[in-house]
Amino acid sequence: MSKQNGDTSPQDGGVAVRLFRLTNRLKKKITKMRKPDDTPGFLAPEAIAEADALITELCEDCPAAMNKHFKALVAAWTKMRDMPDGAERKEQAQDMFTVAHEIKDISALCGYDLVSYFAESLRDFVAGTELKLEAQRVIIQAHIDALNVVLKQGIKTDGGAQAEELKKMVKIAIDKYR
Amino acid sequence: MGVEAKPLPYDLSNLTVLIVEDSLYMHSLFSSMLKIFGVGDIMVCEGGHEAMDLITVTQARRKTRYINHIDIVLMDWLMAKGDGKELMKWIRAHEKDEIRFLPVVVVSGYTTDIITATARDMGAHEILVKPVSAKGLAGRICSVIDHPRPFIQAPHYFGPDRRRQALPYKGQERRVTQSEKIRIEDVKTEW
Repeated sequence: MSKQNGDTSPQDGGVAVRLFRLTNRLKKKITKMRKPDDTPGFLAPEAIAEADALITELCEDCPAAMNKHFKALVAAWTKMRDMPDGAERKEQAQDMFTVAHEIKDISALCGYDLVSYFAESLRDFVAGTELKLEAQRVIIQAHIDALNVVLKQGIKTDGGAQAEELKKMVKIAIDKYR
Repeated sequence: MGVEAKPLPYDLSNLTVLIVEDSLYMHSLFSSMLKIFGVGDIMVCEGGHEAMDLITVTQARRKTRYINHIDIVLMDWLMAKGDGKELMKWIRAHEKDEIRFLPVVVVSGYTTDIITATARDMGAHEILVKPVSAKGLAGRICSVIDHPRPFIQAPHYFGPDRRRQALPYKGQERRVTQSEKIRIEDVKTEW
């Protein structure tokens, strides 16, 4: 084993910087050569095309997956909304964070930019807030209402007058109650 | 004149990749993509804590017939059960070379420069911003294989060399430590 982390203290007034030159284990392992050359490799274009086709296929199920997660989000919110401040509500907030994060990931992958925008905003709000009940209610409800409209109407892009209107609605709620 | 041999694509069947991702949708997607790329062994953890336990077992010095050493870690940055930051810190601060030199590709849903810079400054080899494309993932894997940057151990950093190329700089000198004060020490590792 080489020298441990953190023992780079200067001894002669200079700053010690250690440089570890490692053998290219990965290339050796892949090429099964003792001394592989430096030529950059590549993955089979057919494999890349197949993986892209897989993403496209997954995205066909995206609306159903987003709606399923949105239902879970609403259920978590309904449960949490009237809970008194405390450990149980924080736990519920964690569930909301996870579901919003999931919606964000799926929607971003498949190009549902507006869904992704609101899910990310909700996720960050739930993570960053002190969970003051009244303020939280209004802001989370605004996010959920916006997501509901976007999902029901199947709005995919991030632009357009309706998208701007929805973003404005959520921003007003955040500015007013944060 | 002989005919030049056509280069063959990488065969990743010997490779073991660990996916650390808490989204079921995303880890099944990554898993399927890696399988299509031909990766031989794919392991999945739902959070940083689980990953730490698994890496501790797989990277144990004695290799067994049943457990492969992990070659690349593909990790999400934001996770409920131990986030990417915590896992990254644990990997780079580990006493075992088999763990602290592990190549890490961070996958982040955050597109901000702050997250990218944080991941890089904590020792990530590559950063892949969501939404993920097959070309993007393939590119990061090839980069880790083709460009094994040397590791730097400085007073406030341990990780792969962040300078991908040395270019002349004409602006004002802003480095806190002058280059003549830096004593570079080459270290050979068994790893």
